[in-house]
Amino acid sequence: MERSFKKEVALLRLGAGEEFAGEGILAVTKALLQSGVSYVGGYQGSPVSHLLDVMVDASDLLDELGVHLETPTNEAAAAAMLGASINYPMRGAVTWKSVVGTNVASDALSNLSSAGVKGGAMIIIGEDYGEGASIIQERSHAFAMKSAMCLLDPRPNLPSIVEAVEQGFRLSEASNMPVMLELRIRACHVFGRFTAKDNIAPRISRKQVLEAPDFDYARICMPPSTYAQEKHKVEHRLPAAVRFIAENRLNERFEGDLDDIGIVVQGGLTNSVLRALERLGLANEFGESRVPLYVMNVAYPVVPAEIQDFAVAKKALLVVEEGTPDYLEQAVHVALRRADLQTRVIGKEVLIEAGEYTAEVMLRGVQRFLDEVAPEGVDTASAADQVGALDALKARAGELLGAPVPVRPPSFCTGCPERPVFSALKVLEKEFGPTHVAADVGCHTMATLPPFNLGNTMLGYGLGLSSASAVAPSFAKRVVSIMGDGGFWHNGITSGVASSHFNKDDSILIIMKNGYASATGWQYLPSSQQDRTGAATGMSIEAVLKGLGVPWIRRVRTYNVANMIKTLRRAMTSGVSGLKVIVADGECQLARQRRLRPQIRKWLQAGRRVVRTRFGIDDDICTGDHACIRLSGCPSLTIKPNPDPLRDHPVAHVDNGCLGCGLCGEVAHAAVLCPSFYRAQIIQNPTAWDRWIDRRRQAVIGWLRERAAA
Amino acid sequence: MSGAKKGRGKGKRAAAARPVTVLIAAMGGEGGGVLCNWIVSAAGSTGLPVQATSIPGLAQRTGATTYYIEIHPVPRDRLGGRAPLMALYPGVGDVDVMVASELVEAARALQNGFVSPDRTTLIAADHRVYAIAEKTAMGDGRVEADRIKVAAGELAKRAILADFAGAARAHGGVLNAVLLGAIAGSGALPVPSEALADAIRTEGKAVEANLAGFEAGLAILRGTDRGARAEPATAADETAGVAREAFLIEQRNFPDAARELVALGARRVLDFQDQDYETLYLERLERVAAVDTAGDGRLTAEAARQLAVRMTYQDVIRVAQLKTGAERAARVRAEVGARAGEPVVVTEFLEPGLEEACALLPGFVAWPILRWAERRGWTEKLRISLGVRTTGLIGFFSLWLIARMRPWRRIGHRFGDEQTAIDRWLDAVCAAAGRDPDLALEIVACAALFKGYGETHRRGGGNYRRIEEAVIGPALTGAIPVSRAAAAVRAARSAALAGPGGDALAAALAATAGGSDGSAIASVERSDARAAVDAAGSGTTAGAAESKMPATAKGSDAPAVDAGSAGSGGPAAATAVGPTTTVAGGDTAGSRGPAAAAADGPGATAGADGKKTSTATAASAAE
Repeated sequence: MERSFKKEVALLRLGAGEEFAGEGILAVTKALLQSGVSYVGGYQGSPVSHLLDVMVDASDLLDELGVHLETPTNEAAAAAMLGASINYPMRGAVTWKSVVGTNVASDALSNLSSAGVKGGAMIIIGEDYGEGASIIQERSHAFAMKSAMCLLDPRPNLPSIVEAVEQGFRLSEASNMPVMLELRIRACHVFGRFTAKDNIAPRISRKQVLEAPDFDYARICMPPSTYAQEKHKVEHRLPAAVRFIAENRLNERFEGDLDDIGIVVQGGLTNSVLRALERLGLANEFGESRVPLYVMNVAYPVVPAEIQDFAVAKKALLVVEEGTPDYLEQAVHVALRRADLQTRVIGKEVLIEAGEYTAEVMLRGVQRFLDEVAPEGVDTASAADQVGALDALKARAGELLGAPVPVRPPSFCTGCPERPVFSALKVLEKEFGPTHVAADVGCHTMATLPPFNLGNTMLGYGLGLSSASAVAPSFAKRVVSIMGDGGFWHNGITSGVASSHFNKDDSILIIMKNGYASATGWQYLPSSQQDRTGAATGMSIEAVLKGLGVPWIRRVRTYNVANMIKTLRRAMTSGVSGLKVIVADGECQLARQRRLRPQIRKWLQAGRRVVRTRFGIDDDICTGDHACIRLSGCPSLTIKPNPDPLRDHPVAHVDNGCLGCGLCGEVAHAAVLCPSFYRAQIIQNPTAWDRWIDRRRQAVIGWLRERAAA
Repeated sequence: MSGAKKGRGKGKRAAAARPVTVLIAAMGGEGGGVLCNWIVSAAGSTGLPVQATSIPGLAQRTGATTYYIEIHPVPRDRLGGRAPLMALYPGVGDVDVMVASELVEAARALQNGFVSPDRTTLIAADHRVYAIAEKTAMGDGRVEADRIKVAAGELAKRAILADFAGAARAHGGVLNAVLLGAIAGSGALPVPSEALADAIRTEGKAVEANLAGFEAGLAILRGTDRGARAEPATAADETAGVAREAFLIEQRNFPDAARELVALGARRVLDFQDQDYETLYLERLERVAAVDTAGDGRLTAEAARQLAVRMTYQDVIRVAQLKTGAERAARVRAEVGARAGEPVVVTEFLEPGLEEACALLPGFVAWPILRWAERRGWTEKLRISLGVRTTGLIGFFSLWLIARMRPWRRIGHRFGDEQTAIDRWLDAVCAAAGRDPDLALEIVACAALFKGYGETHRRGGGNYRRIEEAVIGPALTGAIPVSRAAAAVRAARSAALAGPGGDALAAALAATAGGSDGSAIASVERSDARAAVDAAGSGTTAGAAESKMPATAKGSDAPAVDAGSAGSGGPAAATAVGPTTTVAGGDTAGSRGPAAAAADGPGATAGADGKKTSTATAASAAE
């Protein structure tokens, strides 16, 4: 981690009565300490990376409290940490990006949930859904239902989120169920305030250690215990949870004067519903609604009695539930059916079946619901007009703009060490034709986007190589798989390398070794230069590969495109059958710059000689074909209007963001592009010798120029 | 505050205070998050309830992302302990202040409905950071900036578009600080300007530079900093004082509209070779001027540009000449931002190969060598990668020597080949001018296909020959009717620039070949949005193109235009492709289909402009 979170750590130390002002996910972090957790862990990923990053920087505070922090190499390992709460009354929490992280963790979660917990066990889920998400769009809700875990979905404001954490631990202990706390992207990043409490030092901790193991075969997931555990879930744990939820009023009801209708909403979507009602004139600026609301801060298990009580004497309910399938809508139907209530249930037919419930979706949905049920005393025509005006606005914008605005997909950063690898693959395509490329999760996934468009499948984190295992034998050329160092340690070693080598697959694997889990915020990995304490890790990718007996391993500096092409060509044509691994070595440029920039600034101030390198393009030589951009996509390699009045196609241009990584020159050579590229090395704080030799050269060159002009 | 109030109080909205909503559109790595934090911190210090959120996720560098803020205009201590409702999503038609760090991001906000005439103050930096589809186009794939500005003027309650990025550069600040100053200057937030400036101080990072940026933004809004943006050089700038060329041109018969370009072209050609060559340029151009009867001199002017570029084709000598040119060293120093007294070492990436060397040999020597290399597949392989230091003596002297080989160029086979090809092209232009001036213009424009080096150059020449054979030739013999010929050439040219693969060109040529039976395929290549609008405007045939953008590609087999195509035979099928495209549909007779509406462009909507637009322009650093 090349970033520091000092300010955030200070927030974790706030005491009772002090005001916390910060991000949602940080509020959760503080709430964990206020709840007396004994241990915390997780795997980084947007939108919850911050929780772990800040905890890592807060090691002093954690030491004082005796809280153990672990940063495992994947979510399965993080989930397994919760096993501590099976036998011992220890509270603990883990976090990850979901649904992907929950998928990886699900083996441990199933066993954990079956055994049941004594101490409160909480999983903070960053529900990466909708705009800004980077993963498959699925709901984590299903895992809660199938494994019998509670699922909290609090209203998206800091006091509600913090209370959900604190109540969640109590709920877990009261029901012996692990509890998932779901936060959507915008809730994780929401800035708000709450009144802090003191942190609580855990009763069992690194400072107050356990003396004796607890043995209880009933907690082992083996028959016959497993049969008993399943029964225990339905006969004891779920009823206990429902009781706790009802008694502590974890779900909320807001009454309103339009009491023949009502809205059932997931806690996390409450504000969006209220804003839609407010825009339609049915709620005031404090969110006091004329339409009654039943807010489900606990999405699972549901409390049928509460739903029935809310629905009775209402002619229609709107169920607002994001994503598919519509588990809550179904649950509401079942609850009403069992009580023989005839209240109409309207849900996704007026909202949308799939996709995020944005302000617009919500406004349209509520308006259509009102239109459908036409409650007394509501001017539904005016609501319809308001929505119609939005359509007109967007239509007019479309008309004025003429064409859809070009998309702006994410891309490799300026100077990224991974870009040259894909430039090399692109150049090689001319020689061998395209081959199947198995993409993986990480920054390198950006290669699937323009301008590279490289990557035919994407199956999950660290699974690139295994996803090619059935393609390789049936493909005319050697197939190429990509894996990041993050993916390698996540599970690529076993699921990828070991499995492929064990099966004697004839395949090429490129491992991007940039030194960090860069896409999630430069967290350290086992193969990083150092670990989070600053000590050397003593672990390396090459050592693992050798240990596994991989016969063909090459390490190539990524910026050397010619060498990369040569190595890839060898891998494509080598007589050696079996797995061929290329370790593409180049430190993450963002992390590097973060470290180097202050250093260089210091050197410059001290008068030390520093050579700054960057690239440039001669406008009058560039022909405006932009082939260079199609092979690079670097943000600092762009276009500009042609300064030549005789030509009109824009010319390529290197802007001031250039870090001089050298890719432009390498690609110009390797792909035989035009001679317009040049590299400029600017000598800052030049020595007397630099200045003297420069003057002499300039004099001679100036004389030659004059001769040419004559 | 004042900006927020006006949109309220109508319809159903309660008279009570609604939150002031701010949406910031930025690209990853631009500091949008910091801007958001400044506003939050300023609102908080003023005692106003404030909430903000963001979706930074996958944006990284250059990906589009947004930040959303709600500020309740009544201080917390006057709310009696009640918490105002704060939402996490910006609403369509429900944004008070829309901030965009770049012009196309402003357009995206317009497109998504976040700018509405009853309440939105739009504050946008009007420079361009090109999207990847615009950058990778083989020709000109840029979106039309003017169109976005017109749209902003109509859709915003108040549109403030200015060169904030230029101001940031000029004042050594960062764009987000300049934008904060602009927000402060707009008075659209219920937060005083001083509180916003204080937020920069409270944050404590790069305070001085950020405050300078803040002041620059504020100044632009107050109208105290209203410099003119540096315009790109025009032909007039460069020909000023070129007495010699002016004299030469006086002696010949050129339309007035073309004279500046002719002078510029003549000078370029002279610089390339010698006076005889310059004379040849003027003579060739006179042939075009003689058949340029349209009266506006456009054909001569366009031919002056394209002919000069074709006659100054790039070979080893030309590259050496440009790399050792008189002003180049100064230009490089300026480009890379070297300060006075800092030596700069410049290394060129040259890749001379067999083809380039043979270009300077006579044909009877060159061709056997090239054929031999071709047979062995060595044409591309026989080349040396050189890193030549033109700031060093040996490097500079080598290129200087090559540049001095100009007289030798005439001996080389390429010189002769180029002249033959140029004459052939001009013959076609002159022949076409008699039939249809538009057709002649289109053939002139085809010169843009000849560009690049090595493979790019071969591909461009090959494409021209395919178009010549399949479209230009038949057009000149009358096999393709005059009414369709110009459009067919344009469509083929656009298709040739659609992608390096050449599939689009093949489809366009096939469409032209099949065009005589009355069916026309109308579509547009994805990269050239301007050509798309052109094609739609004249309701013509264009080449079919395939998109490679997975997320946005849409294929349509449905007849796109019915109304316009009556009488011309079959319906026109339109294929819309890629992110930057317009669907164009039209018929072969030239009457307008529905898509033609898109081509009316800024002109049609100009009347809506102006009434509530205040457009400030900041002094750019280039000045």
